[in-house]
Amino acid sequence: MKLTKIIQELNATIINKPENLENLEIEYAGASDLMSDFLAFSKPNMLLITGLTTPQTLTTASVIEAGAVLFVRGKSIPKKFLENINNCEIPILSTEYSMYFACAKLYNLGLKDAMETDLNEK
Amino acid sequence: MKSDNKLLEKLLDVFSNTKIGEIMTSPPIVVTPEITIKQVKDIMKIKKISGLPVVKKGLKLVGIISIEDIINVLERGNLNDNVFKWMSKNVISLNENNTLSEFIDYSQKYKYGRFPIINEENKVVGIITKYDVITWLFEKLGTIYIHDERRKKVLNQEYTSKLTGEILDNDKISFNFEINYNDIQKIGIGATKLKAFLKSKNINDSLIRKISIATYEAEANVVIHSDSYGQIYCWDFEDSIRLLIKDYGKGIENVELAMQEGFSTASEDVRSQGFGAGMGLPNMKRFSDKMTIISEVGKGVTIEMMFYKGD
Repeated sequence: MKLTKIIQELNATIINKPENLENLEIEYAGASDLMSDFLAFSKPNMLLITGLTTPQTLTTASVIEAGAVLFVRGKSIPKKFLENINNCEIPILSTEYSMYFACAKLYNLGLKDAMETDLNEK
Repeated sequence: MKSDNKLLEKLLDVFSNTKIGEIMTSPPIVVTPEITIKQVKDIMKIKKISGLPVVKKGLKLVGIISIEDIINVLERGNLNDNVFKWMSKNVISLNENNTLSEFIDYSQKYKYGRFPIINEENKVVGIITKYDVITWLFEKLGTIYIHDERRKKVLNQEYTSKLTGEILDNDKISFNFEINYNDIQKIGIGATKLKAFLKSKNINDSLIRKISIATYEAEANVVIHSDSYGQIYCWDFEDSIRLLIKDYGKGIENVELAMQEGFSTASEDVRSQGFGAGMGLPNMKRFSDKMTIISEVGKGVTIEMMFYKGD
């Protein structure tokens, strides 16, 4: 799914907009406020959904090669934190929706679980 | 003379508080006022010096006679005249407890080439010239160089790999980063820099991802748990990437317990940053091909990981 469609569906604000945003495809998403969850379970180019607005979110997103970061509940991250990541090329978005609602909406749109910790249930 | 002054001034900051008693030539060669100029001339020739303190009984300083005075005698006097007649009577001397800085000041103020050195009993105990100072400085520089070599050896200590037994030579380190434990917000900077470095080496993306994730967790562990600085070292070998993450802090009391997911001693502040779930060491193990942890309580943790290329 185009990232631009996700932005539209979630009424997301763009905090950081790299040049290639229009072309980005997102297939997987995962949500947590715990960075170790993403370090342990993640997929390249996933949409990282979180309410944690600290520099660690950006460094974690960089390290796991996330496709984009989505802050929920209208949260935002100070611009100065972007400086921690050299030439930050990760789209950073914010939505007023809760984590629950954002995940439910994306699930219904067909995005798949990046973290796959529920495999036993399938 | 100019180059002498420049050299002295450059080194002054380092050695300005050194006592000239450490530098002077001692014991001094001295003469008494009654001897002849001819005798002084012969002493200067034999000893290859160009100036002599003139002392009375008990080494009391009463004058100084130099090669310039001898020249004056040759022009206008008689070699059989005594020293008293031709010596400089207005002598500038220094105390053995004066500093090198004070010597420099006197040299510039009085333009003399040498100064007698006296002690607290007003006895002549030495003589100092710029040549003495320069000679002493070069000896000191040699000492500093030796110390520097020793420091270099300590800093470049080799590490014997616990995984393979081979020596990981510090001179071949590809990447090095110091972890600052005082700033929790800096967690992950080392991992992102290492990632950028590995990309510049054309290592494949999925391998870089595993290395970066493992490094990130190790880096977080140093900041969260060690209370000390740490170091990330990376070696790029033909068949593998090697990582060594080291801290000098508290150590892990129970490594087996720490390897269990969920075990954590993290504080609430750490948890508020998204860490402290006790997944760090398990994540490192998950993503590396081989891993060792060496820990001793009170002496820090050394984590070594190997990632094979070509997956």
